[in-house]
Amino acid sequence: MTSATSEWLTPSTRTELIENLVSGVDRYNPSNVGILEDYLYHQIRSEEYDCLANLAILKLYQFNSDLYNPDVVVNILLKALTAEPFPDFDLCTSLLDDRPVNVNPDEPDPLPVLLPILTNLYNLLHQCRFPAFWTFYHSDELESLRENYIVECVGFEEAVREVAARAVKATFTRIGLDRLGTYVDLSGLELESWIEKQGWSLDTSTRTISIPSNPDNEIESVVIRENVKLGQLQKVIAHAAQIR
Amino acid sequence: MSAQRVALWAAEPDLDDDINDVDIPLTIPSYQNADLYDDPNLQLDESALLAAQAQIAQQTALAQLPDVVKRFIVHFHQAVLDNNLPEITLAYESGWNRLTEKFYARTEWPEAEIIAPLVNDDQIFLILYRELYYRHVYSRLQPDIDDRFHSYENSCELFNYLLNSDGGPVPLSLPPQWLWDIIDEFIYQFQSFALYRSRPANKTDEELTMLGSEGGAQAWSSYSVLNVLYSLIQKSRVNEWLKARAEGKTEEEIDEIVGEYGTKPLYRQLGYFSLIGLLRVHVLLGDFTLALKVMDNAGLGLCVGEKAPFTAPTAAHVSTAYHAGVCYLMLRRFTDAARVFTGCLNWVMRARQYHTRSYQYDQINKTADRMYALLALCQTLAPTRLDDNVTNAVREKYGEQMTRMGRGEEGLGTFEEIFLYACPKFITANPPPYDDPNALALLINPPTPTSPTSPTATSGTLAITDPTQRHLRALSAHYLALSPVPTLRSLLKLYTSLDARKLTGFLDAGVDDEEVLSWMMVMKNAGRCVGRVRGAAGADKDEKIGASAANGGSTGSSLLDGEWMSISDLNFVIDENMIHIAESTVGRRYAGWFIRNSEHAARVLDGLRASPLPVSLTPPGARTQGKGGESKGDTSKDTAPRTSGQKVAWSKIV
Repeated sequence: MTSATSEWLTPSTRTELIENLVSGVDRYNPSNVGILEDYLYHQIRSEEYDCLANLAILKLYQFNSDLYNPDVVVNILLKALTAEPFPDFDLCTSLLDDRPVNVNPDEPDPLPVLLPILTNLYNLLHQCRFPAFWTFYHSDELESLRENYIVECVGFEEAVREVAARAVKATFTRIGLDRLGTYVDLSGLELESWIEKQGWSLDTSTRTISIPSNPDNEIESVVIRENVKLGQLQKVIAHAAQIR
Repeated sequence: MSAQRVALWAAEPDLDDDINDVDIPLTIPSYQNADLYDDPNLQLDESALLAAQAQIAQQTALAQLPDVVKRFIVHFHQAVLDNNLPEITLAYESGWNRLTEKFYARTEWPEAEIIAPLVNDDQIFLILYRELYYRHVYSRLQPDIDDRFHSYENSCELFNYLLNSDGGPVPLSLPPQWLWDIIDEFIYQFQSFALYRSRPANKTDEELTMLGSEGGAQAWSSYSVLNVLYSLIQKSRVNEWLKARAEGKTEEEIDEIVGEYGTKPLYRQLGYFSLIGLLRVHVLLGDFTLALKVMDNAGLGLCVGEKAPFTAPTAAHVSTAYHAGVCYLMLRRFTDAARVFTGCLNWVMRARQYHTRSYQYDQINKTADRMYALLALCQTLAPTRLDDNVTNAVREKYGEQMTRMGRGEEGLGTFEEIFLYACPKFITANPPPYDDPNALALLINPPTPTSPTSPTATSGTLAITDPTQRHLRALSAHYLALSPVPTLRSLLKLYTSLDARKLTGFLDAGVDDEEVLSWMMVMKNAGRCVGRVRGAAGADKDEKIGASAANGGSTGSSLLDGEWMSISDLNFVIDENMIHIAESTVGRRYAGWFIRNSEHAARVLDGLRASPLPVSLTPPGARTQGKGGESKGDTSKDTAPRTSGQKVAWSKIV
C-alpha cells in the first residue's frame, strides 16, 4: 500500500526533468526558475499539483529577489489552499521573506493586499467553516482575486469541494442534504450529480446522504490489551518444568 | 637598542608547567640594515620604518605572552604537523580551554600575526588558529563588524584549502570534535551575521558603508554558505557512502564509490557533518521539507534508536534531533516530532554523566531544555502516551503551562511564549538594501500607513518583520483552530451517543449548531496526523495509538514518508444529528511485571539450590529438609549443628 505521503512527495505527474531539479543542486540555479514556473502553469491548467516543486520556486525567490513574480506566488498559494489537510499553505508562507521596497510604482505589488485574504481563506478551511468560506469567497472583497487569478486556476472550486468532502467523509455517516449543500456551495441538480460522482447515496425522501464506511468513520470501542506472547513466558515455564 | 632586543628573546624564566623540555625554535630575525638607523643623516624610507615599527610591536607583544601559552602553541603546531591525532585532541579539548580560562577569559587570544613566528609562519596552522581565535571572540566577547568580515574570510580560506588544493585531499588529520565545531561555528557565525545585518537601525556610518559595499554584500551570503556545505558533501561523496553502507557493500566497493577524498576520515566526517549543517541552515531559512530531505540517507541516528554511521560528537546528535523535531513540528507531524525529541532526551539523560567537559555541556543542556519545551507543545496539540521518564520531566518543567494551554483560547499567550523561547532563531535570506540609502531609510522609518486601497500603500513599503513571527503565526493559527477540542473532549467522554443539538446546549451561549459541527470536524482532523511507521519491532507506541497504519516503511524510505494515523483515544462519528462515541481504553499491563519477578524468583531459587548444604551431624530430628541451607547467616560453618532450630519445610513451588 503506498503511503499517504508518497503522492505528495513524488507526484506521478512530475517529469524526470523536474525531478532532477527538485532533488539536486540545480534547484539553486536562478536560470532554472523559468522551467519551474512553466511547470506551475501546467499544474494550474491541468488540475495537477506538485508541492515540492512549488516550494522550490519560492526558495529561488527567497534568494534572488529580482526574480520575484507576485502572480506566481498567488497561484502557488491558491494551489496550496486546496491541499488541506496537508500543511502546504503554512510551508509556503514560511518561505515568503520580506519583499524589498518596490521601486516601480506602475506595477504595484499585489501580494501585501492579497496575502491576508488568502490566509483568511485558509484559516476558514482549516477550521472547517465551510459555509463561511463560501460566503467570503463570493464577497466583493475577493473580486480582484477571483477575476485575475482564480479564473485561471482550473478546477479550484472543485478542489475546495474535495477538501470539504474529505472532512465530511471522516466525520459523518449520514448528513442532511441542505447542510451538505452549504458546505460545497451547490444545490439542486448540481448537488445531486456531485454527490453521485463522490459515490455517496442520496435518499430523497428523508433528504439525507449516506456516506460509505471508510477507516475514519467506522468507530468501535477498543480496549487495548496487552498481547502476551508465548516466547515471553518461555523462561518461566521452562524453569517450572525443571523443578522436580 | 639591538642588545636590548636580544635580551627579550633570550629570556626564558623557570617554568612550572608540564611542557618542560620542548625545544622552542625561536628565530631571531636579522635586520640587514640595522646599522642604517644609527646614521641620523640618512633619509629613511617611510614604509620600511613603519614596517620595522610594526615588527617591533609584534615582537613586544609576543614577548609579553605568557610562556605557557607560547609553549602550548608550539606543541600544538607540532602535533598538527605530525598528524598526531591523540595529541591534537588533547591540546584542542583540554589545553586550549584551560588556557582560555586562565588567561583569556575576558579578552581575545593574541592575534595570529603575533604568534606567527612561533610556528614559522605556517599558513595552514594560522588559518586553524584564527578559526579558534574567532570562535572565542564570538562566544565570549562581542564581535564587531571587522571581526565578522575577517572571520568570514578566514572560513573561506580554510574551506578553499580543504576543497581546492592542488594534488587532491590535504594531508591533515583533525579530531571529529574539532571538525564538527568548525561546521557548527561556521553556521553559527552565518546566523549571527544575518541577525546582525537584518537590524539596520542603530548602526554607525562606518558599519553602514561597509555593509553597503561590494564586499559587504558578498560576505556571509546564503549562496556561499550553501555552496561550502554542498561542496563538502559532493567532494566526500558522503551520500553515496551512506547508501553503499546501507546496501551492505564490501569495503573495496565502497572505497571505489567514494573516490580518493571520501576514503579519508577527515573528508568523510566533514561531509557527514555538512549534512547536519544543511539541515540546520534550511531550518533557519524556513524550508522544512528540504531540511528533512537532506537527511534522507543519513537517517536520524541515535535519536530514533538507529545506529549512527560512526562515533560523532554528542552535540551533533543533539543538533540533528532538535532541528529534525522542529521540522516535523512545523509540518504538523506531531507524533514524529515527539518521537524524535523523546529519543534524544532519553539518550542525553543517560549520557549526561560522560559529558561534563567545557562549553559543550552547557550547550547540550540548553538544547535539551528547548526540546522539553517543544515536547510540551507537541503534547498540547496532539496528546499521546510517551516514555515515562520523559513525560515526568516535561510535566515537572511545564505542567502549569500545559494546563493553561489545555483551556483553549486563553492559553494562546503561553503557547506563543514557549514557542518563542524554544524555536531556533530564524533568519531571512536577504539583507536590507544597504546599497540604497534611501530605501534603507524608508525601511527604518516607514511612512505612516494610508488607507489600504490607495495606490501608494500597495507600492510595497513593508516594515521589517521578524521571520520568527511568521512561523509563530502559522503554528498559533493551528493552535487556535484546535482550541475548542479540549472542551468537546471532556463533554463527549461522558456519553456513548449524544444529539448534536444537545451538545450545542451544553456549550457556551452564542454558539450555533453549524459552528459546533465545524468544531467536530476539526476535532476529527486533529485526531489524525501523518506519522512515520516503522516495522513491527519497537512499534510500542503504535499499539497504544491504535493505528490504522499499513506495514511500516523500510529503512530506505524518505524521512518525509508517513501514514495517516489516529492519535486520539476518543473516536466519534455523526449520524445526521446524532453523535456516536467510542472510547478506546488502554488495559492495565501487568504481564511484564509478573514475568520479570517470576524470572527473578527462579534465579534466586536456583542460586539457593546450587549452594552447598551445611553438614549436619545431629540426629534426624533436627535435620533440615534437603532443599537448601537455611541459616541465620553462617552456612559456611559446618560445625554448628542446629539442634533446637525450627524445622523448615519447603513446599513445592507451583
